[in-house]
Amino acid sequence: MPTDEQIFDKICELLKPYNVKNKPILRASGIMSDLEVDSTAVFDLIMELEDHYDISIPMEVISDVKTVGELVNAIQDLLNS
Amino acid sequence: MSGPKSTADGEKVAASGLSIFSKYDPLKQRVDVVKKLGVDPFDMTFDDIMSATRGRIGNREIILAGTNNYLGLTFDPSTRASAKDAIDRHGTGTTGSRIANGTYVEHEQLERDLAAHLGKPSCIVFTTGYVTNLAAMAGLAGPNDVIFIDADAHACIIDGTRLAGTTTVRFRHNNPADLDKRLARQKIPEGGHALVVIEGLYSMFGDIAPIDEFVAVAHKHGAYLYVDEAHSYGVFGETGAGIAEEQGVLDKIDFYSGTFSKSLASVGGFCASRHPEFELLRKVMRPYMFTASAAPSNICAAQAALDAIKTRPELRHNIMARAAQLHAGLSDMGFELCAPASPVIAVRRDNEVQAAMEWNWLLQEGVYVNLAVPPGTPESSSLLRISVSAAHTEEDVNAILSRFKALKDNGDDIIAEMMRRMQASA
Repeated sequence: MPTDEQIFDKICELLKPYNVKNKPILRASGIMSDLEVDSTAVFDLIMELEDHYDISIPMEVISDVKTVGELVNAIQDLLNS
Repeated sequence: MSGPKSTADGEKVAASGLSIFSKYDPLKQRVDVVKKLGVDPFDMTFDDIMSATRGRIGNREIILAGTNNYLGLTFDPSTRASAKDAIDRHGTGTTGSRIANGTYVEHEQLERDLAAHLGKPSCIVFTTGYVTNLAAMAGLAGPNDVIFIDADAHACIIDGTRLAGTTTVRFRHNNPADLDKRLARQKIPEGGHALVVIEGLYSMFGDIAPIDEFVAVAHKHGAYLYVDEAHSYGVFGETGAGIAEEQGVLDKIDFYSGTFSKSLASVGGFCASRHPEFELLRKVMRPYMFTASAAPSNICAAQAALDAIKTRPELRHNIMARAAQLHAGLSDMGFELCAPASPVIAVRRDNEVQAAMEWNWLLQEGVYVNLAVPPGTPESSSLLRISVSAAHTEEDVNAILSRFKALKDNGDDIIAEMMRRMQASA
């Protein structure tokens, strides 16, 4: 089971191509509001995470996720369920 | 947290000074930029529409190349006569929903004829195409069901999942292998089922789904397959029954939805099913039950268009010939097109501002296409989207191509002129 830190690092790695202004990625960073990742790219990122962890991240879960930290927590919850 | 403030006349306002509209400030900035270029592409008015391919703005005649009027039947003598006759016989509106006073014999006749065309035992007619997917998806999917949608799904499919309120999983666009993987991965709750929703022809890029492969994957997992053929019904297939017919799997589709506002030259929508139990959903689909039914003139225009689809295959030959002509012409000029030739041809541009400038210039030069920009587009792309009609002539397509040729040859000058105009209006 990946650690919280490993999930955060993986998200940072996958976010890189979408973080066009190269802003620092923090747990508190808003994925769309701070990192300026558009909604289409967010869904692409989610599919990459689904494939990497072999989980389903349903759309209703994504709609509640605003920050990188919340995404880490959502993936942890799905891996533990 | 500080409370609201009061204005001089006693009206309370938020302490932050922000209004209910403040969340749209970034959108307003984008709209303001586009407005400075000339006409707002998302808030424009035609002074007249004279035919399926011609409109007028002021004194300028415009070739319509972005109206999804695929078979050009909105001005056909048969559809116009049928709509006028319906108004004379039944008035201008039903003033009621399908479950109250809003079902006339014409609504039921159209349902029977669409069902027969698609070879399905059941078909339900709705007030618009958008409402069709909203109603049918939310009616079909219950709390234990899981909906799988294509990554490029139309807004009405996404909104359908929201109204259904059930677990929804996206799969990679037009990728049956990716769906296969996600169906295998997803746990379906006890008593639940999987509902896979795809489109036949995708409206932005104009690319076609491998419906036959999706049928195989969906049914391998015991999932139901729902296909929206809004942009392909009437246009593809030997009898016009869409891409599912062309790929030989029409009988395997569990749910088949479409709209009247494209090939059927009217306003409304329909969903047909190979499951007779679909009829029961008339009693549960809220967007079916609690909105006024389609006006008699809309129903009768669609009925006449359906008759044309079944009896006039030359309409399909015309549109495919014009689509091939336009696609080849644009391709030869070096434009990047998003898909092989189909009635929807999307020209990819570098960014939103360039696309908006070129859209305005094309309109100025007498050609109306669609401007499509993120977030409503796949791959966050900015597009000049063209939809071809069977009513376009070879000369019409040549005229459209000549404007794009000018755009290609003089693009820098055109952009510079539009920039000057934008600065002058700043």
